[in-house]
Amino acid sequence: MNSSRDQIEAIASVINNTRENLKPLSINFIFWGCLVIVMSLFNYAFPSLIESTQYGDVLFWTVLPLIGMILTIYYNIKYRNKTGYETYLNRVIKIIWGVFNLSWIYIIALSFTIKSFHPVPPILFLLGMILIITGLIIKFKPITLGGIFLTIFTFYLNFNPGINLLLVNIIGVSLGMLVPGLSLFYSKPHNKSDE
Amino acid sequence: MNKLLFNPIRLKIMSSLINNSECDFNYLKKITESTQGNLSIQLKKLKEEKYINIKKKFINNYPKTSCSITEKGKIKFEEFFKNLITLKENGK
Repeated sequence: MNSSRDQIEAIASVINNTRENLKPLSINFIFWGCLVIVMSLFNYAFPSLIESTQYGDVLFWTVLPLIGMILTIYYNIKYRNKTGYETYLNRVIKIIWGVFNLSWIYIIALSFTIKSFHPVPPILFLLGMILIITGLIIKFKPITLGGIFLTIFTFYLNFNPGINLLLVNIIGVSLGMLVPGLSLFYSKPHNKSDE
Repeated sequence: MNKLLFNPIRLKIMSSLINNSECDFNYLKKITESTQGNLSIQLKKLKEEKYINIKKKFINNYPKTSCSITEKGKIKFEEFFKNLITLKENGK
């Protein structure tokens, strides 16, 4: 490997070896989409069960998402260890969603202290923003559109305060996360050489 | 030309690290097609010149080494790559 051509080929071959695999991201979207929809449906169908105690609904909407967060973090670490590398794109996405998780904890903590503050609208708005950023970064339109839809939907909520927030969750998360997640899952993977 | 990057294993290591924010030892071993001992020596040389950072940790009682490129490493790799392109254009 002495000539410049051989060396350039070696560099290109190593770079092409890195696959920009977005499957784990889509699995995260599908998981969260399903979890929030199932939780919302369960709460909608059995409100007396969830609200049987004073803090029943608070525990339901805090403990289960926290378990979900731990599971997704565990899955993402496992996947990272399996591949043996982390691309810059994956690192950026990881940081963005890490910030979302911290913001979610902040909003939930705020809703505990301020009784009149409902956490669903700001969480959905933040989710919409994060989806738009993710969609633009990975250049995947369904996720960007899902984020735009969620943002408009959250804006609409301000003018219809009486709307059932469980139904809002179901519609918002279905179109904002589940559908784009499934769309990403079934899209063709690509590597760096395609760019 | 940068002699440190002229070595094919070191060049492959740097090419992988410029492309990723972090790479594990086993992944680098696979893409460089080198032995464990040889790879360790090449990584040590790159670290001594401050081209890369090496991080060691234990996962499930197994040691795990991961590497990332430094700012100096990025600059040197870019210079080396530009030189390669110039040489190629001159037909060498």
